[in-house]
Amino acid sequence: MEEYHRHCDEVGFNADEAHNIVKECIDGVLGGEDYNQNNINQWTASIVEQSLTHLVKLGKAYKYIVTCAVVQRSAYGFHTASSCFWDTTSDGTCTVRWENRTMNCIVNVFAIAIVL
Amino acid sequence: SAAPRACALSLSLSLRPVVQQRFGPSVVKDRIHAVLKEELANAEYSPEEMPQLTKCLSETIKDKLGIPGWQMGFDRYKMVVQVVIGEQRNLSRPLRPPPPSAWLLTVSDADTDNYTRDVFTNDSLFCVVAAFGCFYY
Repeated sequence: MEEYHRHCDEVGFNADEAHNIVKECIDGVLGGEDYNQNNINQWTASIVEQSLTHLVKLGKAYKYIVTCAVVQRSAYGFHTASSCFWDTTSDGTCTVRWENRTMNCIVNVFAIAIVL
Repeated sequence: SAAPRACALSLSLSLRPVVQQRFGPSVVKDRIHAVLKEELANAEYSPEEMPQLTKCLSETIKDKLGIPGWQMGFDRYKMVVQVVIGEQRNLSRPLRPPPPSAWLLTVSDADTDNYTRDVFTNDSLFCVVAAFGCFYY
């Protein structure tokens, strides 16, 4: 018998789905571009805004936090970590790492369930 | 009470945090800054130690902000703390952190949810911390 998933009964945060959404947004904004200090703010704002819009369109009862950092590829180190205090059964996170020849992009999505 | 819609929630419940228990950005920022000053005062950037330091910092800060029932009063909040550490590029002329990343929060309840950011720099590294608080009803 074919497995039938009821979309509205999905429990927990679907990190794979979010990952794909975000990766497409980054591709759309940074694809084919080279690092340019003048464009960074606009790029990060676009990535965050588009990611958020698409995530919200999923129609799930979540609040989302999306953070984005775009840095020039160089020998200089860059680290990020996050720590969360939440409900591990319903809330979740995913991290998308993207790079091209001249820059790195890291996007974090944190999804916090709205439970009434 | 209003039913949630797909993209924007509009809630008119009586379950609100009292004013003193709201996630106050300036209070949170002060707490974060205190931790950074204490933990990073003499820190030097090193590729081997930074992953662990970044992780520890995020946990320390989260613990200081999010313990339920703590006198801070944030016991109805879910918290996310993000820490970024990077190497300073020019030791003789410390630069400001790289252009800010965009933080965005979709908030059903702008009254109670909030975020704050703090930055710490020394000759060797820069550290940016963002803390987000989401009220849960």
